[in-house]
Amino acid sequence: MKFWGVRLLSFVLAFGFVYGLDVVTQTAFPNLYRLAVLAGLYVTLAVSLNLINGITGQFSIGHAAFYMIGAYAAGFVSQHMYASQPLGPVLWLVVMMAVGAVFAAIAGIVVGLPSLRLRGDYLAIVTLGFGEIMRIVVQNVDPLGGAYGLNVKPFGEPPKILWLVWLLAVLCIAVCRNLLKTSHGLPFIAVREDEVASAAMGVKTSSVKVTAFVIGSAFAGAAGALLAHSETFISPDTFKMDVSFIILTMVVLGGTGSITGSIMAAVALFAIPEWLRTMQVMIPGSSIVAGILAVGIMVSGFRWVQNNYHESVSKRIGAYLACVVGAAVAAVVLSFVLAFIPQLAQQRLDVAMLRMVIFSMVLIILMLLRPQGVFAHHEFSWDWLSKVLRARKGVTA
Amino acid sequence: MNLVAGLDFSILPQQLANGLLLGAIYALIALGYTMVYGVLRLINFAHGEVFMLGSYAALFTSWALGFTPEALKNGAEKPSSWMVLALMLVVSMVVCGLIGVVIERLAYRPMRNQPRIASLITAIGVSLFLQYAGGLFLPQSPPPAISEQVNPYRKDSDNVRLTLKDAPAALKAQAKLLDAEAGKAEAAYRASEQQDPPGHTTAATEDLRQKYQTLERSAQKVEGEVNGQSVKLNIPFGQLIMLITTIVLMLILRHIVMYTRTGRAMRAVSHDFDSASLMGIDVNNVVTVTFLIGSALAGAGAMMYATFLRTNLTPFLGVTPGVKAFVAAVLGGIGNIPGAALGGILMGVVETLVIWLGFSGYKDAVAFVVLIAVLLFRPGGLLGSSKVEKV
Repeated sequence: MKFWGVRLLSFVLAFGFVYGLDVVTQTAFPNLYRLAVLAGLYVTLAVSLNLINGITGQFSIGHAAFYMIGAYAAGFVSQHMYASQPLGPVLWLVVMMAVGAVFAAIAGIVVGLPSLRLRGDYLAIVTLGFGEIMRIVVQNVDPLGGAYGLNVKPFGEPPKILWLVWLLAVLCIAVCRNLLKTSHGLPFIAVREDEVASAAMGVKTSSVKVTAFVIGSAFAGAAGALLAHSETFISPDTFKMDVSFIILTMVVLGGTGSITGSIMAAVALFAIPEWLRTMQVMIPGSSIVAGILAVGIMVSGFRWVQNNYHESVSKRIGAYLACVVGAAVAAVVLSFVLAFIPQLAQQRLDVAMLRMVIFSMVLIILMLLRPQGVFAHHEFSWDWLSKVLRARKGVTA
Repeated sequence: MNLVAGLDFSILPQQLANGLLLGAIYALIALGYTMVYGVLRLINFAHGEVFMLGSYAALFTSWALGFTPEALKNGAEKPSSWMVLALMLVVSMVVCGLIGVVIERLAYRPMRNQPRIASLITAIGVSLFLQYAGGLFLPQSPPPAISEQVNPYRKDSDNVRLTLKDAPAALKAQAKLLDAEAGKAEAAYRASEQQDPPGHTTAATEDLRQKYQTLERSAQKVEGEVNGQSVKLNIPFGQLIMLITTIVLMLILRHIVMYTRTGRAMRAVSHDFDSASLMGIDVNNVVTVTFLIGSALAGAGAMMYATFLRTNLTPFLGVTPGVKAFVAAVLGGIGNIPGAALGGILMGVVETLVIWLGFSGYKDAVAFVVLIAVLLFRPGGLLGSSKVEKV
């Protein structure tokens, strides 16, 4: 009884969440709807890459390729076949998700096979290379629009796209979560922890690795299909190497292996650049250099505290705060000093251009300070929450 | 058959020569990848960006020496000498060497005790950071290029020409004859045109004109045949300098690695990092020197790439050569210095061959195809040991 109750509750919560999101984004300022759609796609991408990278431990940095394959497969089919079939737009979108997922899954098998022979950084390079090969092939195939891109507009505005995007995200999260929680997921984790040992214990490592690639890429492909229809235009430039790195940053920032972490990091890393874009502030180049240097000072301070300052927790927190304050002071001082360099002071830069600089700095700083990611391998759970709350009560009582 | 029929075999040697020259640059960059991998087992993704910064260093040096776009506007000439080229090369190498050392000190050294994947992610981060921070501050629109006037040997008469196979003498004689006849016919036509009243063409002139044009056409046809049957090489002198510099640098590198104390330490560290440090080798020092040398070689490559191949500079310039050089390093057997040189040259040749085959749209994809093929079928590379890596 409890089992089905919990399942029912999850379904209700998922639909309630999407309904709320739908209402809020449609009533708030107009661009928010599109942003919510893209954020949902990034959540799907991050969680699905986490299945490959974090849970199964196969280091893949070419996730944008599956995203692209899904988008192009669905876009092409949709553009040519929508007019000659009876389905309505919403059902058609669901079918297109399936099409995108199937094509991306086939690509996932192709990429998964080298993972049987390669590991670590070599596998990373192969996945990266696969992504680039796919992008260049698409660029050179004329029926797919070549370098000019492909218009995907079989009908007007895609209806209920936010619902589909977020339900896909929820489905992806549910699949990964259930995989982790049930015995089906144990081989995946075993392969991550020690491939040789798990093979010795009878885990079929080959099929596990390929399965991870297939599931992960299928979700990315479905996300790509929705992207093609919601943006109505895709081009090879939409799926450059940078996109793969952004998704990777999300997974790594959240903590490889933690689904909660991937979701949080996806939303945060998607929201921050978009927020920067709306600021439309021009900053002098000297301030940006000062900011980057100050962040460097702060990070080296943090590292010093981490490695050399073995005092009580409160003292260490004080030391970290001192680092932050010191970095802030350094930033102010440096921006004044650097303003004397005319080339820097006269250069005005749009804050939105900082997007990828921020991504790369997050990646480096994270590796220097907390290589396991913010959430490490921990997950959010009601048990954990109630434990924390109970512990609080115990302290106060 | 159709595929082969469309190919022009007479330009193949020229393409191979171009590939060799391009491959020399790839080889220089690949050396940096392979040395760092040999010592630290780290794929230094930021190496391509060091290359990019090196080309900008060469650009700024040329500007400092007076070769700015403003100074050379409207076809103004500025004399140059080999000293300018040498200075640009040295500045670029020094700047790149220092950047490489700084990157190692700040980003890679703290990661040394972490899992290798963490270092790899850091390397990706450094690479992205240099690209996009460079995008903020480096001049890029319109993409600047090093003025060709920097190169004192840019005249056509300086080019090295070789005739590998000449057309048959009879054909050449025929071409010469036809050319002379066409010349005569043209002279006759011009003379007749002069005698005509202005604004009116007589029938005789028209006749002469048609005769001249027919002769001219057949002369051109035979000329084309001569070109098709003879095989020639035309190498700009600057690119020859590039090749020689590359070879000299590689020989110096070989000397350092094989016959000096530092080189012996480098080989020891690359053989076994921990044992080397136990034997009293200053491992940090060796890593620093490795980054210094590898990055300086990339700087040399960058200067020559930007100067002699006349590339427009952008902050993303380093990505493609970086990737190809990495593939070259893997192809030759990563960690293996002669392998990197061989792999680089092969990559250059493969790239020009793909263009020659008519798939220029795919020239950047080929690098990855080669890479995947090598990793799947001979993971150790051509010159490396072929044992499968067990981690």
